[in-house]
Amino acid sequence: MDLLDLIDAAQSVADGLLFGSTYALLGIGFTLIFGVMHKINLSYAAASIGAAYGSLLLLSGFTAAPAVIVFMAAALCGGVIGALVYFIGFKFIPVANPLATLMSTVGLLLLIDEIIVHTTEGVPLAYPALYSDVVVRLGQFMLRGDLMFVFVLGCACMVLFLLLLYRTRLGIATRAVSQQPIASQLCGISILQVNVLTFVVTGMLGGIAGAMSGAAIGMLSPLLAQPLTVKGLIVTVIGGLGSIPGAIIAGLIVGALESLFQFLRGVTERDLYIMMLLFAFLVFRPGGIFAKAPGRD
Amino acid sequence: MRTVSVAAAALLAGMMTSVSGGALAQERTVKITGFGAKSGVVRVFGVNSEAAMKAAAEEINKAGGVTLGDDAKAKLSVEFLDDRCNAEEGISVIRRIASSDAFVAVGPTCSNVAESLFGILQKKVGDASDSGLQFPVFADVAAKGGLAAISEWAFRNVPSELEMYKSLFAWLKREHPNLKTIYGGVEKDFAHSNATYGVMKKQAEENGFQLLGTGEWLLNDTNFSTQVREMRRANPEIVAISAHPFTTCGVLREMDRQGVKPKLLIGLTSSSSIETLQGCAKQAEGIIIPTSFAPVTAEAKTAAENVSKQGGSMDLHSAAAYEIMFILKDVIESQKIMAKPDTVQADRNKMRQGLAALKETKGLLGTVGRTNDREAIKPYLYVYAKDGSWQVLHKPSS
Repeated sequence: MDLLDLIDAAQSVADGLLFGSTYALLGIGFTLIFGVMHKINLSYAAASIGAAYGSLLLLSGFTAAPAVIVFMAAALCGGVIGALVYFIGFKFIPVANPLATLMSTVGLLLLIDEIIVHTTEGVPLAYPALYSDVVVRLGQFMLRGDLMFVFVLGCACMVLFLLLLYRTRLGIATRAVSQQPIASQLCGISILQVNVLTFVVTGMLGGIAGAMSGAAIGMLSPLLAQPLTVKGLIVTVIGGLGSIPGAIIAGLIVGALESLFQFLRGVTERDLYIMMLLFAFLVFRPGGIFAKAPGRD
Repeated sequence: MRTVSVAAAALLAGMMTSVSGGALAQERTVKITGFGAKSGVVRVFGVNSEAAMKAAAEEINKAGGVTLGDDAKAKLSVEFLDDRCNAEEGISVIRRIASSDAFVAVGPTCSNVAESLFGILQKKVGDASDSGLQFPVFADVAAKGGLAAISEWAFRNVPSELEMYKSLFAWLKREHPNLKTIYGGVEKDFAHSNATYGVMKKQAEENGFQLLGTGEWLLNDTNFSTQVREMRRANPEIVAISAHPFTTCGVLREMDRQGVKPKLLIGLTSSSSIETLQGCAKQAEGIIIPTSFAPVTAEAKTAAENVSKQGGSMDLHSAAAYEIMFILKDVIESQKIMAKPDTVQADRNKMRQGLAALKETKGLLGTVGRTNDREAIKPYLYVYAKDGSWQVLHKPSS
């Protein structure tokens, strides 16, 4: 491996790390819903892409709406879709059967995907990007302005989200419901309200993640829903189900490794290594990155 | 007097019967069933094919419809079924169509579906030992080379990508003798892109271009920085991308960011569509793509407008569906197809014979030749992206 290869390898890691912030946001959404309800919402990534599409639809009457407005609209749409997902896929499904909600969210994933396809005929749509023309060059090394923006925005969302979770009454209520649902009900916390708000907040986060994915590529396509669902789940497992710091770190790691394996082994083997990493975590650290090592005989 | 009255009544009754018989004949309808992807990410292909078939049917009906074997006039109607670009669904759809009164079906969209469903058709006509379906299928979109050879009941009106890229690279060699090096890019997990890249690569090398490398990605990839960095390092004069609009645009944008500016860009036939221009018109500026449709003749322009009115858009794929409807009209008339419930299998045999006997058909860009293995030899031209639209660059036949 010569110097140029080393630079390319470092460049791949940097690109992947920046794009990984999208995975981190998706991972947070998956993990928070699991943390609060102990259920997996498989429609989360599709809803995120749906929210990004929704932002285009919402602003279709305005020619060339600024990207910031589009991002805010995506968050708004994400919140609305999140609430809808809760009421359709969770609220009326029997709590005693965890598989029922899993299957209902699979159905919602397909439904959201098909709604997008039927609305757009499956045709990719251009999505506005901020700083898409900005490239920071350091010799052979370069950093994309739009990806840096995505990264900074992702980090800002994560910080805001952690503040919301640890510094507000809603955050305390969410954590209380997550840890002791019956005790929190006895303390006067409305489980329904917390659940709805959790779906709305994670939906908004997902909307931003969907918008960030669209901005990073410059286009939106229904093709994005399936790979982002898989990546979101991988990040959630590697980060540890229910662990928000784990989801953030895992998102960045998966993004970086995906890009590095693409560089080292090519597109046909890239996903193989990510899946092997997932299995390694499931076997050796099933609790995720920040879990204590399991005791073994 | 009484005799005269009876005769007059009989004459009147006869006339009324004749009139109502004529009215009934005018009301006959022949349903042509199309099928293809109308859900999933390739839905647009099905939508466009259906619109093209309906536009053609409307035009045929306006001109008086089709004359059946019993000299009755019939209107054409179109039904379009969804196979979801899935082989199992495709087989199920074709079995459903074959169990109806239909004597031909138009489709499918995807090559993987065509390959599987042509496989369940009878291989050789008249082979009693082969229990395969005896039902003619006329493909409009499925582009993978040589598929009609699978069964004598399979027909295609699909352009030959081999011929188009063979001609394109020979033309490039003539027109741009100073260009020597080429770099390829391919959507590795899509049958059409992958097969066409094989064609592009072979034709480039046969015409003396030096292949510097190939970047590979997947249909739903979102990050192309690694592939484009390798491309930038190779510094090619020509870049040939065999991918559909979503990833073509992703790669072109990444090339723009990394400052990769080849002297010439070549694209996949399927990317000569409005989606590419909607997604990345600026980055796609100048890309050359061979295609078997462009609204360059008065007939093609009218057809494109009619398809647009039906909610679709005309491209090389939907143009094939449009042409097929006119071919079917001609065969129905020449083979004297009856289109009655009790003549279904006979009509299917006649339709197959009629299609197999065709040596040439009329296309929107000119005469389309037919080969012995039931494929089309379609006229084509090269288009290039200019100021957000597709412009004709060269007509090889002219």
